[in-house]
Amino acid sequence: MSLRKTLVDWLDIRLGIRDLLEQNLTNYLLPRKINIWYTLGAVLLTLFGLQFVTGILLLVYYVPDTEQAFASVQAIMNEVPYGWLIRNLHAVGSNLIVVALLLHMLSVLFMNAYKKPRELTWLSGFLIFNLTLVLCLTGYLLPWSQLSFWATTVATEAPGAIPVIGDDIVRFLRGGAMVGDATLGRFFALHVMGLPLVFGLLVGVHLFCVRRAGISRPPFGEDYQGEPPRYTFEHEHHPGGIPFFPNYAVKDGAVICFFLAVLAVLVFFAPNLFIPPSAFEPADPFVTPPRIKPEWYFLWAYQTLKVFPSELIGLGIQGVLMTLLALLPFLDRSPERRPAKRPLFLVCFVLGILAFVGISVWGHLS
Amino acid sequence: MDTGSKDFARRRALLATLLAGIGAVLTGAALYPVWRFLAPRKGAEAQDQVALSRDQVPLGGAHFFNFRGRPAVVLQTRAGHFTAFSAVCTHLGCVIQWQAAEQRFLCPCHAGLFSAEGAVLGGPPPRPLESLAVSLRDDQILVG
Repeated sequence: MSLRKTLVDWLDIRLGIRDLLEQNLTNYLLPRKINIWYTLGAVLLTLFGLQFVTGILLLVYYVPDTEQAFASVQAIMNEVPYGWLIRNLHAVGSNLIVVALLLHMLSVLFMNAYKKPRELTWLSGFLIFNLTLVLCLTGYLLPWSQLSFWATTVATEAPGAIPVIGDDIVRFLRGGAMVGDATLGRFFALHVMGLPLVFGLLVGVHLFCVRRAGISRPPFGEDYQGEPPRYTFEHEHHPGGIPFFPNYAVKDGAVICFFLAVLAVLVFFAPNLFIPPSAFEPADPFVTPPRIKPEWYFLWAYQTLKVFPSELIGLGIQGVLMTLLALLPFLDRSPERRPAKRPLFLVCFVLGILAFVGISVWGHLS
Repeated sequence: MDTGSKDFARRRALLATLLAGIGAVLTGAALYPVWRFLAPRKGAEAQDQVALSRDQVPLGGAHFFNFRGRPAVVLQTRAGHFTAFSAVCTHLGCVIQWQAAEQRFLCPCHAGLFSAEGAVLGGPPPRPLESLAVSLRDDQILVG
């Protein structure tokens, strides 16, 4: 009897592990026409895992103190063996995560997979997306460079446009009138402990929703039939589908390898693609560098605030857009999921992407 | 088992071995930088010799200092005669204290006692204190 069989038998008697593996891997059937876009969840889990590991490693040498933070990051980059690799994986990885998140959300939108009964899956995913952006924002300050300092100053200044309570919100976010020791302390605590805890919980809820409701069928092909109306809970089964393991797990693995290869290329050959020169100077609260810009994924918000005559209007429009997106499954209640049968939605989808890209490029060039 | 299924099993075993090999190489490639990242750096402890001023060590007294990243102590037992030891107790690694009145070292953790020459006088320490080389240059004491 092989060691593997002995081990599995031992676990099986105690935990019923064979049954568990069958239910969730080999007998877990996915839609026959499942496409490559469904792998992005696994890609994101891998990339988030990498952020978690590299983040813990960076904590070994990073010092969350305004006097020492910049020097500690420079030491990680220049003195600690492979520190440059760990830090670049973390910094570049965060950008790649936002790309993968956007692709994941866009594919779900395009295939209308957010509709009933998957409203909660969408909502938890949307919260994960926003929480990721807050993680990026809080992590951005930690190197305490000119870029960190002034990008955070601009970002935390934005709520100041809200009447009556705006100034109090800004002070609360910063822990004082200006970005300083208190801001670094609270951003550090949020980035390494507070937000990851909430994040882990949300990912758990999201995965539970995905597993409980079942994988949605891609709404393509002539044999696609709309789903019947549901009045009671029903897990979506796919009789005659393909097993998750090994069939789809191999595809998951291939796309994960592709993303890791992209990450490796960026880390080794273009590590500064997302890092402008002002990130290499220590923070100076008395000198604002010229043309300070936020990260590429915040450029749309940055430019929206600049376009409108009042920051309050800009903030209001951003808030309305994000709320609409969060509540989309509750507003768009038609059961039709085929994109070809939803021309208005398709036009909005394409225009939305073009507007996001256009406004971001405008923000970059302005 | 017919020839076809034997071939299939052999191909399967070869593929599994290849995949395991590639996986092991990739895991090694990923873990090596992590190991190097976490391993203590030699540079931080490479200071070979520590220079102290003679004034820092009173006659019959002791001066504690950092030697290659660990606590050490230098004594002046007679005028102009200096000896140095690691200040780490050989029992469980606590830092010893100098008792000037008794001219001996006491380990506060488990009451180990060492003489001014580093020898064990009593208590649980299994070995004498590690002795460090001392030389004199002008008004400086060089340890190490």
